[in-house]
Amino acid sequence: MAGYEGMAIELSGLTKTYQRGKQPVTAVQEVSLSIPPGQVLGLLGPNGAGKTTTIKMICGLILPTAGSVRVMGFDVAKQRSSAVRQIGAVLEGSRNVYWPLSAWQNLMYFGRLKGLRGAEIKPRAERLLSELGLWERKDEPVSSYSRGMQQKVAIAAALITDPPVILLDEPTLGLDVEAARTVKDWITHLARDEGKTVVLTTHQLATAQELSARIAVIRNGSVIADLATGELLSSYSEDRFVVRVDATRDGITALLPAGARAEADAESTVVTLPDTGQEALQGFLAEIRAKGIPLVSVSRAQPDLEEVFIQLIHSDSGSAPSADAERVG
Amino acid sequence: MTVIAVPRTGGSAYTLRAVIGETTKGLLLLWRRRAVLIMATVSVGLIYLMIEFFVGAGRIDHGVLAATLPGLFAYAVASSAAVQGCGGIAEEINSGTLEQAHLSPVPPSLLVLGRLGALAAEGLIPAVVLTAAFWTGFGVHYTVRPDALVPVVLTVADALAYGLLMAALTVAVSSIGALGHVFNMIVMFFGGIFVPVTAYPHGVVIFARFVPTTLGVEVLNTALAGRGLGAAWTDGTLPWLLVHVVVLGSLGWYIYTFNIRRARREGGLSA
Repeated sequence: MAGYEGMAIELSGLTKTYQRGKQPVTAVQEVSLSIPPGQVLGLLGPNGAGKTTTIKMICGLILPTAGSVRVMGFDVAKQRSSAVRQIGAVLEGSRNVYWPLSAWQNLMYFGRLKGLRGAEIKPRAERLLSELGLWERKDEPVSSYSRGMQQKVAIAAALITDPPVILLDEPTLGLDVEAARTVKDWITHLARDEGKTVVLTTHQLATAQELSARIAVIRNGSVIADLATGELLSSYSEDRFVVRVDATRDGITALLPAGARAEADAESTVVTLPDTGQEALQGFLAEIRAKGIPLVSVSRAQPDLEEVFIQLIHSDSGSAPSADAERVG
Repeated sequence: MTVIAVPRTGGSAYTLRAVIGETTKGLLLLWRRRAVLIMATVSVGLIYLMIEFFVGAGRIDHGVLAATLPGLFAYAVASSAAVQGCGGIAEEINSGTLEQAHLSPVPPSLLVLGRLGALAAEGLIPAVVLTAAFWTGFGVHYTVRPDALVPVVLTVADALAYGLLMAALTVAVSSIGALGHVFNMIVMFFGGIFVPVTAYPHGVVIFARFVPTTLGVEVLNTALAGRGLGAAWTDGTLPWLLVHVVVLGSLGWYIYTFNIRRARREGGLSA
């Protein structure tokens, strides 16, 4: 099946309902997503939104109540054996690897678990451990590693068979800044240099914004937004402007329109104008020109993913802009 | 659009490699906790010694020792398989490695064979060490013939089937481990480690024969007493042992696969 050209992951009407006592609880409802090969999708949502359940249904670790999952063309329910060969996963809140064993022993185990021969596993294990900076300590028990190193072993184990699809559920959770940076660099490397399809869930929205080409936001089990990251941000950008002027904060306070905010740094003052459109901007620019205050720059305020996420999660309507995979892929 | 070469599907040998890998992993984990295994072996040995002194009213009765040593062998395998079967699964559910293991293309119903391979080694090591120590240490006389291997193999299979059943129950109820100790006490009490099972009242003997390893110990005693497998077949213990192994093994395997599927339905492969 070399040279597969379809969607890497296709979720169609994916639904999961748990029976909790006598009450049915719907964790995931009618989720449909198509992810092309090589794309990094950030799957975001608050706690209990259904992200992990969705990831585990893609892996075949949780059976859906309705709908289907195809991974590299293989139906996870009907062709499980072939489908799981396409997947490497680092799952949330768990060790993922055997801590009493060494990194090397873990990689050999997980390689064999996928049916590879020792001769096939060894060179890849060597490469992964070297590139992740674990080679020197490959024979020590994983329990003796730092949290960041343990997470790297989990990532290496997920990649040992060189799968085309990587599912990462909170991969930077609990990592220090440096370890999180390494993991993020690797995710970028996997997508850009190795053409892997990556589905990433994280509560660190700056990480999601940095890594993801596309963002899907899930709330109460349903996808409420699905757009290319840039499109999602711009669709929520407001008619709000940021003006940088070469003056002290005190020097312009009297000129600020109602609702404007000024923050000074070492060289200039940044004024964020209220969401009142061009009128406030033109008025403020006229004022500073009249006072002879040098203008440094004017730009449209761009909300970050965190602001967009908060807006989406707290919006009353259950739906928001979305695009099909072809458009964003 | 990006074109990615999908990893090849591989031949039928991948199943064998995965199963062997599962056994190897179990043995590596066993090696990491070898100190625990040694302490457990010493503990069981001391308990057995105390039982023998108690039964012999302060001395070792060689006749009782010869009749109960097969019970010690069977108990060592069964208790280890049950404790490690339960503990191993519970630990893997808590650490999330059980989920990772189920990302294998090999079905769980086959992977469990690899797990049983490691449990067999873990049970046989203390069983062989203790049996050899008491056998040679007290100069116990047995009639050892090759046909004695049949009840040995069947008894080990019965003990592993018991371990599989306990592991299967742990998939559904992770706290079953505590109950496992109660079951182990039942195996110890009715498995012929105190006195030969035939010394119990008839009703208790009937009940005891449903307990894992009891029939195996009876057949082993028959074989080691030099009466041959024919005698065990004639008195019905050998055919019932075969039935016991098949039924307990099938039950353990069925419940394991059933509970794994249930866990996938309910999201219970991890804590």
